[in-house]
Amino acid sequence: MKKLTIIFTLVLSLAIAFSSCGKKSPKSADGKEVVMGFIYVGPIGDGGWTYAHEQGRKYVEQETGIRTIFKESVPEGAEVKEVVRNMIDQGATIIAATSFGYMDYIEEIAKEYPNVKFIHCSGYKMGPNMGNYFGRIEQPRYLSGIVAGMKTKTNKIGYVAAFEIPEVIRGINAFTLGVRSVNPKAEVHVRWTHTWYDPAREKEAAKALLDEKCDVIAQHQDTAGPQQAAEERGVFSIGYNSDMSKMAPKAYMTAPIWNWGPYYVDQVKKVMAGTWKPESYWEGMNADIVRLAPLTKNAPDGAEAKVEEIKKKILAGTFNVFSGPIKDQKGKVRVPAGAVMSDEEQLSCNWFVEGVVGTIKGK
Amino acid sequence: MIKMSARSDCSKREATLIRTLAVVFALVTVSFFIMILGHNPISVYISMMDGAFGTGYRLLETLRKSVPLIITSIGISLAFRLKFWNIGAEGQIMMGAMGAAFIALNFPQLPAIILLPLMAFTAMISGGIWGLIPAYFKARWKTNETIFTLMMNYIALKFITYLQYGPWKDPAALGFPKIPNFSQNAVLPDIFGLHAGWVIAIILVILSHIFINYTQPGYEIEVVGGSENTGRYAGMNVNKIIILTIFASGSICGLSGMIEASGVNRTLSVEITRGVGYTAIITSWLSYLKAPVIPIVCILFASMIQGGTFIQMAFQIPQSAAQILQGAILFFVLGSEFFIRYKISFVKQNIPEA
Amino acid sequence: MDASFFTAAVVAGTPLLYAILGEVITEKAGNLNLGVEGMMLIGAVVGFKVALITQNPWLSLGGAMIAGGIAALIYALLTVSLRANQVVTGLTLTIFGTGFSSFMGKNLMGEVVPDNIKLAFADFPLPLLSHIPVLGQVFFNQGILVYGGYIATILAGLYLYNTQIGLNLRAVGENTAAADAAGIKVSLYKYIHIIIGGVLCGLAGAYLSLVYIPSWQENVTAGRGWIAVALVIFCKWNPYRVLVGAFLFGGLDIIGFRLQKYSFYISQYLIDMLPYLVTIIILIVVSARKSISGLPPANLGDSYFREER
Repeated sequence: MKKLTIIFTLVLSLAIAFSSCGKKSPKSADGKEVVMGFIYVGPIGDGGWTYAHEQGRKYVEQETGIRTIFKESVPEGAEVKEVVRNMIDQGATIIAATSFGYMDYIEEIAKEYPNVKFIHCSGYKMGPNMGNYFGRIEQPRYLSGIVAGMKTKTNKIGYVAAFEIPEVIRGINAFTLGVRSVNPKAEVHVRWTHTWYDPAREKEAAKALLDEKCDVIAQHQDTAGPQQAAEERGVFSIGYNSDMSKMAPKAYMTAPIWNWGPYYVDQVKKVMAGTWKPESYWEGMNADIVRLAPLTKNAPDGAEAKVEEIKKKILAGTFNVFSGPIKDQKGKVRVPAGAVMSDEEQLSCNWFVEGVVGTIKGK
Repeated sequence: MIKMSARSDCSKREATLIRTLAVVFALVTVSFFIMILGHNPISVYISMMDGAFGTGYRLLETLRKSVPLIITSIGISLAFRLKFWNIGAEGQIMMGAMGAAFIALNFPQLPAIILLPLMAFTAMISGGIWGLIPAYFKARWKTNETIFTLMMNYIALKFITYLQYGPWKDPAALGFPKIPNFSQNAVLPDIFGLHAGWVIAIILVILSHIFINYTQPGYEIEVVGGSENTGRYAGMNVNKIIILTIFASGSICGLSGMIEASGVNRTLSVEITRGVGYTAIITSWLSYLKAPVIPIVCILFASMIQGGTFIQMAFQIPQSAAQILQGAILFFVLGSEFFIRYKISFVKQNIPEA
Repeated sequence: MDASFFTAAVVAGTPLLYAILGEVITEKAGNLNLGVEGMMLIGAVVGFKVALITQNPWLSLGGAMIAGGIAALIYALLTVSLRANQVVTGLTLTIFGTGFSSFMGKNLMGEVVPDNIKLAFADFPLPLLSHIPVLGQVFFNQGILVYGGYIATILAGLYLYNTQIGLNLRAVGENTAAADAAGIKVSLYKYIHIIIGGVLCGLAGAYLSLVYIPSWQENVTAGRGWIAVALVIFCKWNPYRVLVGAFLFGGLDIIGFRLQKYSFYISQYLIDMLPYLVTIIILIVVSARKSISGLPPANLGDSYFREER
């Protein structure tokens, strides 16, 4: 027993000695090494949401040379605080939490580590060392709606959606407005999966929509499950988060996608220069944080031209996807002609526009 | 031919040696696996230990992970002594957490002195009842408890999911399915940097040891566990013993749930258990149901989990490597039991004279 | 709700079908293998990996089945020869299998099943049978693995109830000592049937990763292995009932999305509880009535020691 104890202690000491090896990162203005941690809600191979953030992380490493660490598949619960502590233990000085559900936990733990910077994606809370960031993905969603609206022949478009939160509702609304701008008779049918990441459930929800004669499937989910369901039935689809052409080549037409890299680089540079301040970042296509993926040959004729026309107006700032008149499902006018839905209204949106077939439960 | 016979002569030293050898074999086997996948097994193992014990923070995390394991293992070992295969610890933890959450969410203004014990009490009753249900049917009609308790786990899980997505959903979360956080009064205080659960764990270990070895009910459990009939001949009320013991088992697991909800998460969610209910079956088994051994085995297991988290972030080795390691160690130890309990000898067959 | 829901239910139920059949056979031999979830996951990852390497549908299935069989062999070695506790061994197999599958699957993330394999498993209508109104569309316009499920069920039923070997197997599970005394090679029967159980669970896993969701996903089984263990009891260890149980619960699994269309709202989570609740009720009723037909094999879960006979 004694021998074992001695061996154990020796090994442990070696271990501690080894732990100080590792790549060193550029330093920030106050002399500390800048290390960025990324907390992912799904696996980096999801081909969707987390994959897009992972591309951003690689871009940051490339452009700034800093060391980064990440953890995948962290559930939206108290465990994220432990992940944060682990990352700080490994030297992280700025942490990006990439899912809505982390919000309250990040807010709490940010208070415990005032010297670490936190940026929270898709949330709305801020603090002295906590900012949030998101993109106006509604703009490319609107454009993708144009493509879907022009493609559908049954005038029924299916939308597989995760949770009944304003972000998702906003996306459905923008998409539907785009659809109806070219096809006033089309309807968008919504099914809720209550998960961001579960290809099997996402596919089953899509199948339920397809069984109701939807011939274009769109989604607010992290994987390509719904795209594949559409392909199996020989119909078409709009992706999300990343270009999903490889996953469903015969069905996929286009997708609203993210381009997180440049924003991450901007934040890291500010930390390095010592000028980082918490902000609530919400830019659109003009800042290139959101884009519309290239249209594939599955897209209908004329869609490219129409999309380009509207896109120019969005980039020029002369067109807002949420400009009135906008009616809700009951026909009541929520945004009058000539007006525009304010940011506050968008951030707390809990009603569907006319043309959406679906309910927001628990209202 | 090969003859197997039960042996009673295996000394404690020999047994420990055989088990340690089993662990070593497991480590070696997994090393091959790691090498095939392109990593250096020695550096992986060293990193795991570094990740578990290398700094004060990491040691704290390892201990934090071991607390629910220890408490749940104590609860499970109680049931296992009765040869009642309580696979339902997972569900009992959840029901305990749910009971505690119910109190915390409905009485947030009560002072901590009252609120915390009330939460603990409710948790223990909830967990106890959850264990009681299968126990009652086992006592009454010999209903198979392995499957029954397993099913209860899923019912508890689905029920919490239903609560989280429905009636207990936090309206402030704007539609996102989350149960509200507990008020500060409902949070277990820290003692020396770790939530008070570790003190409760130590107390339970000591109490359990005393109970099993030095009290009349503890003795009765041993007897009934060995053979129900023996217990009956000795005049024991076997049904009552089964029901009370499993109630206790479930309530201890329920307490573990309250500690996790109050001390670690500060809320209730479907991920509350993190599989502890199943891992604790393994740890209590590996501890041979002995209370003093349980903390050691649990800390070891917790270190594998914490070490696994560390190497995942530092080296991109998937967390699942820790699970593979746990599984392999257990396979080998389970197999080694055979050599402790039985002696193999080669006997020449006696051919009768013609 | 039209026939398309039932068609989807059959598809959703097929992995359950194979897994339940596998565990029924294992339990008939007297061994409770709680490692179903682990074996399914091992089959899923190996099947997918072989598919990517060989691009051959049958090799992929074969690989998955062999992998499931090997996993079951580990369980058999420990519980039959080394007399280890079946419950703990099975649980360990699940932990190991989950870790193994997650580990091997890391590099498979985002990969898609090759097209020719998708084609091999795609739906095709059976001549004549698929023209039966309604039933034809639901049961006889499916993929080859679904048809395989029907065949496996019938074969299992015939095997258990109409062959001498099947009778011997049931004897081993019901009264191991008597079977041994009658000269049946108890250990051999257990080994073989435990492995067959593993093979079927591996196949179930491969169905999930190669057909149901044709791209790799972490934790592709999502708890189906445990539902299968529960449904073995629901089906009273009878292969013919497994058809009913598997498709019924396959349907319950997906009904939530279809119900969203209607105004009444039953939480999907309460529906999710059904397989487990029903199993408990059956467990209680059967043990209370002590009716022979619904009881588990009498020696289920016991390690057999000839020396102690």
